[in-house]
Amino acid sequence: MRTGAVEALYPDPARSWIGATPVRFVFTLLVVLLVYGFSLYFVDFDLGRLWSGLPRLVHWASKAWPPDTRDLGVLIERAIETIAMAVVGTTIGVIIAAPCCIIAAQNITPSRLLYTPMRWFLNALRGIDSFIFALLFVAAVGLGPFAGVLGIGLHSAGTIAKLWSEAIEAVEPGPLEAAALTGANRLKVVSYALLPDVLPNLTSITLYVWEFNVRSSTVLGVVGAGGIGQELKNSVDLLDFARLFTIILIILAMVTAIDQFSAWLRRRLV
Amino acid sequence: MTGTASPPDPAIRIVGLRKRFGDRIVLDDVSFEVAAGEVVAILGASGAGKTTLFRCVTRLAQSDCGQIFLGKHAIRTLGGRQLSMARSEIGLIFQQFNLIRRLNALDNVLVGRLGEVPTWRVMLGRFPHRDRQLALAALDRVGMLSYALQRADSLSGGQQQRVAIARALAQQSRFVLADEPVASLDPESAKSVLSILRDIARERMIAVLVSLHQVEFAIQFADRVIGLRAGRMIADRPAAAFAEADHRMIFAT
Repeated sequence: MRTGAVEALYPDPARSWIGATPVRFVFTLLVVLLVYGFSLYFVDFDLGRLWSGLPRLVHWASKAWPPDTRDLGVLIERAIETIAMAVVGTTIGVIIAAPCCIIAAQNITPSRLLYTPMRWFLNALRGIDSFIFALLFVAAVGLGPFAGVLGIGLHSAGTIAKLWSEAIEAVEPGPLEAAALTGANRLKVVSYALLPDVLPNLTSITLYVWEFNVRSSTVLGVVGAGGIGQELKNSVDLLDFARLFTIILIILAMVTAIDQFSAWLRRRLV
Repeated sequence: MTGTASPPDPAIRIVGLRKRFGDRIVLDDVSFEVAAGEVVAILGASGAGKTTLFRCVTRLAQSDCGQIFLGKHAIRTLGGRQLSMARSEIGLIFQQFNLIRRLNALDNVLVGRLGEVPTWRVMLGRFPHRDRQLALAALDRVGMLSYALQRADSLSGGQQQRVAIARALAQQSRFVLADEPVASLDPESAKSVLSILRDIARERMIAVLVSLHQVEFAIQFADRVIGLRAGRMIADRPAAAFAEADHRMIFAT
């Protein structure tokens, strides 16, 4: 093609990346300013109140030292309870997610009719936080970690199934097609040709969700759903900052250890 | 059908196959036969309709009209269970091998047994002794027995394609369709793959249909060569009679 013709097809851009026209640029700027204006108004953003509250925070912080370790045994027990909640909750999530993710994965779904409702269902589970589920379960099954476990389980089911189905959709279609064309039924194709390929990925996702659940379990106690959050809330209510400080240190240590352990395990999988 | 002294029924018979995508005619009145034990090469440039032809034969695509017979199966009119039974008799070889990367060579060959083995056994990975022996024998036949426990993604392209052939052997297919099986291989591996295909066709009376774009391979390894250009058959002759003129016709732009 002649140079002139190429230039005619692909001329130099008339304007820079900032915007197609000045009008559009000004319009965009106005919209952004409006969004921030409204948002700051609705959250009662007030640096003055932070400033006047600051001495109180400093006072509390000074009272938190030295940390109160008298209840250490109980607190560590509660920390272990928190991890156990994440383990059981994530497992419930896995059990619910396993059949759901197959229906929600475009490349292996047994029915297009079920696919879309299943996606909605999973989005609903994912959209409602463990915390909210736990609140409902506390009302239904009473106080304690069991309610928290059920909350984590339902919310995680949505997250795990969504991430799993995406991992399954990313699989190479060729080997699955080759297996299906030997006359193998869907169950055989999924268990023999698909699972070995995606299993490391699925396990890695599960560990990631578990790690996330340990973190979210720490606050479930606030609504009475067990774990170390219960102790945290008690200490705040009693303004017992030395004990609160110990609890925060335990949470930090626990979360860091779990993150490192899970990351190490996931690295070994891939 | 009842002709006197007629030769044995061909294994693969394709009659008047047509296929169009919108306005574009992809297959135009394609008819040919492949006998048991025969290797037929389809030669054509990219876009000549080779892949569409293969997809029609396996019913991954439906042709607009014509007939396709694999043995006694009238492929075009089958549905559901019958179709998957007919498919289980077709061994497929792909350009990209389509092995399961994280499984070893033996487990990949066992994919050829999936149609026969009960579902619970597949799910537990407990294949019957007989099927494992069949798979090992197939690996041995393609010279890959010593790699049986090596992961598929650690094998070279030529080795992977030989495992894929073993998979078709383990399937005990009477028909093998190989769509550009050597397009991603170096010339030496390509020759070894094609000579294995030719040898198994002879030994086990398998009808082999293989698409290629290298004329010299077609002449060397096939019994017959069919030239496809823009969906039309422009040559169908014994490999030995394939001439320079055919070559130019097929690949002329």
